[in-house]
Amino acid sequence: MRLRLAMWAVLVAVVGVPVMAHHSPAAFDRTKQVTLVGTVKEFRWQNPHTWIEVLVPDQSKKEVLWGVELTSPTYLVRAGWKSNLIKPGDKVTVVVNPVRSGEPSGIFVSLTLADGRTFLERPARLGTPDSK
Amino acid sequence: MHALAIGAIVAIPLLLPNLGCNSGPALEAPTIEPPAGSGATSDASTEPLSALAPANIAKARPAAPFTVTGNWFIDVSENPNAWRFGPPYPKLKPAAQAEADASQKAAAEGKVYKDDIGQCWPAGLPLIMTRYWPMAMIQIPTSIYMVSGFMNSLRIVYLDGRSHTDPDIVVRTYNGESIGRWEGDTLVVDTRHFRGDHHWMDQGGMSIPAGEQLRIIERIRLVSDGKQLEIEYTMTDPENWDGEWKSTKRFNRVDDVDIQEVSCLPDLNEHLQSTTSKTQVLQ
Repeated sequence: MRLRLAMWAVLVAVVGVPVMAHHSPAAFDRTKQVTLVGTVKEFRWQNPHTWIEVLVPDQSKKEVLWGVELTSPTYLVRAGWKSNLIKPGDKVTVVVNPVRSGEPSGIFVSLTLADGRTFLERPARLGTPDSK
Repeated sequence: MHALAIGAIVAIPLLLPNLGCNSGPALEAPTIEPPAGSGATSDASTEPLSALAPANIAKARPAAPFTVTGNWFIDVSENPNAWRFGPPYPKLKPAAQAEADASQKAAAEGKVYKDDIGQCWPAGLPLIMTRYWPMAMIQIPTSIYMVSGFMNSLRIVYLDGRSHTDPDIVVRTYNGESIGRWEGDTLVVDTRHFRGDHHWMDQGGMSIPAGEQLRIIERIRLVSDGKQLEIEYTMTDPENWDGEWKSTKRFNRVDDVDIQEVSCLPDLNEHLQSTTSKTQVLQ
């Protein structure tokens, strides 16, 4: 079954690169991924965190608002992002590591647009050979 | 007459009521006549020079062995947890150990213990140095101005020979008061006068409080042909641990990134649900 056909699915994954937030990252379960297929409600391009709110239909067709936390635009630009990459109403697929409490919130893993392009974050390793 | 006019200029701001960051009723500047023979005119000339006063900057001093001017980022190329100042950790005092134990228990339960930084409290020294944002440093003969890309936290290291401020009048801060001096090719910075509330030496499962007795000595060297700063930290806080807590960090020079304006806006955490979720242990 293709993931995109699922309303959402929980996958087990190993994540090797920590994404540092302004807050402790301990709230997130790095061993799990949730794939959100939904519609952008809001996209805020700002420091210290960019964030996306996505309306995702659950299994009963009720829309649930998910909050997705990303790193700062400094790193996103290095991964090809722009402030107008997505806008309210866009259909997107967002993969997150969810918060452990089960609430509809997670930290960003990947974004796939309706045209099939996928965007990731850039690891925060400035000044090292892989930071370019 | 001339002295009276200057006195009025000096006295007016001193006599104005304190203004907080909250809005209040509009205030009209009162008209104040200086008392006869108040002597207010002479105070300004007896104050020590600011680190940015041209006369201070121009004073004769030995040339600095190196400049830290640049953007610096903690080197995590070999260890993504290099931003932490432990392990190893010192032997903690009972109350500090209780905090560390509680944070480890919370982490084991998938919870976040007293994440004050996530609630917009300043990271403070030493953690502000190793946030995953660059630190801009500007060095002039009298001082080093550091501005973190994380919340634009300001840290000033004075190099003009001044002493630490009298503890009875100092305004305690999360980055403390830093006084530096050159020892050969090493810049030695002594930082004291910290705030001891909502201030942590580590986070994420090893919450160790920083108290008002915290003192941090940094020995800073420019290494790797100027591409890295090495800072050896020696940290003492007899309220929270025994002896010296040591840690050495390296920071990479970053020439293709500038810091940006960053604020912990009131609506930030409203949209970062993890900071308000049931995973948080705030008290």
